[in-house]
Amino acid sequence: MAMSLTLQRVRTSAWLGWQVEGNWADPTLFAIYVVARPLATALILVAMYRAVGGAQTHDALFAGFYLANAFHNYVNSVVVGMGWAVFEEREEYETLKYVYTSPVGLFTYLAGRSLVKFALASVSVALILGLGFLALGLRIDPAQVQWAPLAFSIVLGLIGVLFVGYLMAALCLVLTRAAITIIEGTTVAFYLLAGVIFPLDLLPMALRVVSLMLPFTWWYEALRRFAFGRGASVQLASLSDGALLAAFIGVTAVTGVVAWVGCHALDRQARRLGRVDQTTLF
Amino acid sequence: MSRATARGAELFLRATWARAYVRLVGSFRQPEWLLTDALFPNLGMCAFVLLYRGLGASRSMEAVAIIGGVLVTFWFNVLWGMGAQMFWEKQQGQLQLYFAAPCSRMAILTGMAAGGLVSSTIRALVGVAIGVFVFHVQLAQVSWPVFAAVFLVTMLALYALGMLLSSLFVLYGREAWHLCNALGEPVQFVSGLYFPVRTFGEVGAALAGIIPLTLGVDALRQVLLGPAARGLLPLSTEIALLAGGTVLLLWLAARALEHLERLSKQEGRLTQRWQ
Repeated sequence: MAMSLTLQRVRTSAWLGWQVEGNWADPTLFAIYVVARPLATALILVAMYRAVGGAQTHDALFAGFYLANAFHNYVNSVVVGMGWAVFEEREEYETLKYVYTSPVGLFTYLAGRSLVKFALASVSVALILGLGFLALGLRIDPAQVQWAPLAFSIVLGLIGVLFVGYLMAALCLVLTRAAITIIEGTTVAFYLLAGVIFPLDLLPMALRVVSLMLPFTWWYEALRRFAFGRGASVQLASLSDGALLAAFIGVTAVTGVVAWVGCHALDRQARRLGRVDQTTLF
Repeated sequence: MSRATARGAELFLRATWARAYVRLVGSFRQPEWLLTDALFPNLGMCAFVLLYRGLGASRSMEAVAIIGGVLVTFWFNVLWGMGAQMFWEKQQGQLQLYFAAPCSRMAILTGMAAGGLVSSTIRALVGVAIGVFVFHVQLAQVSWPVFAAVFLVTMLALYALGMLLSSLFVLYGREAWHLCNALGEPVQFVSGLYFPVRTFGEVGAALAGIIPLTLGVDALRQVLLGPAARGLLPLSTEIALLAGGTVLLLWLAARALEHLERLSKQEGRLTQRWQ
């Protein structure tokens, strides 16, 4: 009964989220909006690769970066989106206080809003991978693919995205207008720190330590290894598949605990500071 | 100069300074915002530089990405600080004050551009510092007066585009917001911010050259990197095109502002929030 009620609330929140996301434009314009940004990022990567003489866009290294770059759209969309949901509800529409006082509750509401972001990101990822297949000649060699670990990694990575999304949303509860740059900037930081488009061995040692504490670093490495048979990092190449997955699970679990504790602590802090109905921008 | 013209010019300059002042003071009021604005965009640039390093590309390609990355700061300021500004003002309920003021709207836009240019330059210096001290970017023999001239004409063209976008967005609500969101990365791609524009081939590069940012970044690379920049057009041609584009864009911005102000008043959208 309780689960059914929660699911109903998540569905309603998702519907509301869809209206907020999509009702400003006709479907064609909205579709262009959804795909323009992620496709452009993928095309920048392709153009950079082609600009370097001798670099082939169909080799395994590029394919691994391209795949990670595509999946990073979940981070861009869900993590930023959940932060933005808090920010715009509080600052722009001034409705966050009503979400708090409704029986839905903030965190269930955010789960619903994240579903829409997840769906939009999935469209982007599918299009980017389709572009890679059709235009760039990217292929998966069935002999190299490990389907079960790959599927598991995708799911675990998405769970990690959700954890970090919750944490960012809770952070936005406490932050005022600086939240805009913080949440947008954090995903750019993840782009660098998680080694989306380069081997993380190129990072200075201090940043590499931070990188290994992020679930996304392990996610992208696992995706590369289980889809193409090789990762990008020399350092992580020494790990067996099982060790890689175990580390990925461990880091994601720790992220989950941090997100859980952090969300509740930041929520309490936001209430204490009176930030739930504070408007600082619009 | 007649007394009326002199008073008009004085009012224009005072309004420009007043709007620029707000932007400058606002930039420094929240220091952590200055830090995040300056630092975060450059992290993306670092990722692209490391990609080139991972591919074993020449050091000049790293410099190509760094110059593009530094200019991203200005592009985002043009998009969000100019283009979407009227949207923000509308949301804050201040847009009507601009239209009730006795000064020229173009003076307000000029002030926004001037203030935004100064604050963005300060932020861009962080990117320059990363390029010099972290990635040890190597420059060609640079003529700094030529660099200053090219930088100035690039910024004029870019902020004139921002004034045009700002004018267009007087009419719009949330569409303006989403359009700015959607224009960020696609323009970075089309402008070849992280790779030589020549990568597009002759025709593609010529089409990309319609955007002032493309010509600006290409011209700046030619000045800073010399032949390693793999420039699109001769430097003098790019400067001439940028200068011509500036004049055209300013004229278009003035006409668009006039037209859309009238239209938005007729449709009652000038003070409409949450749309």
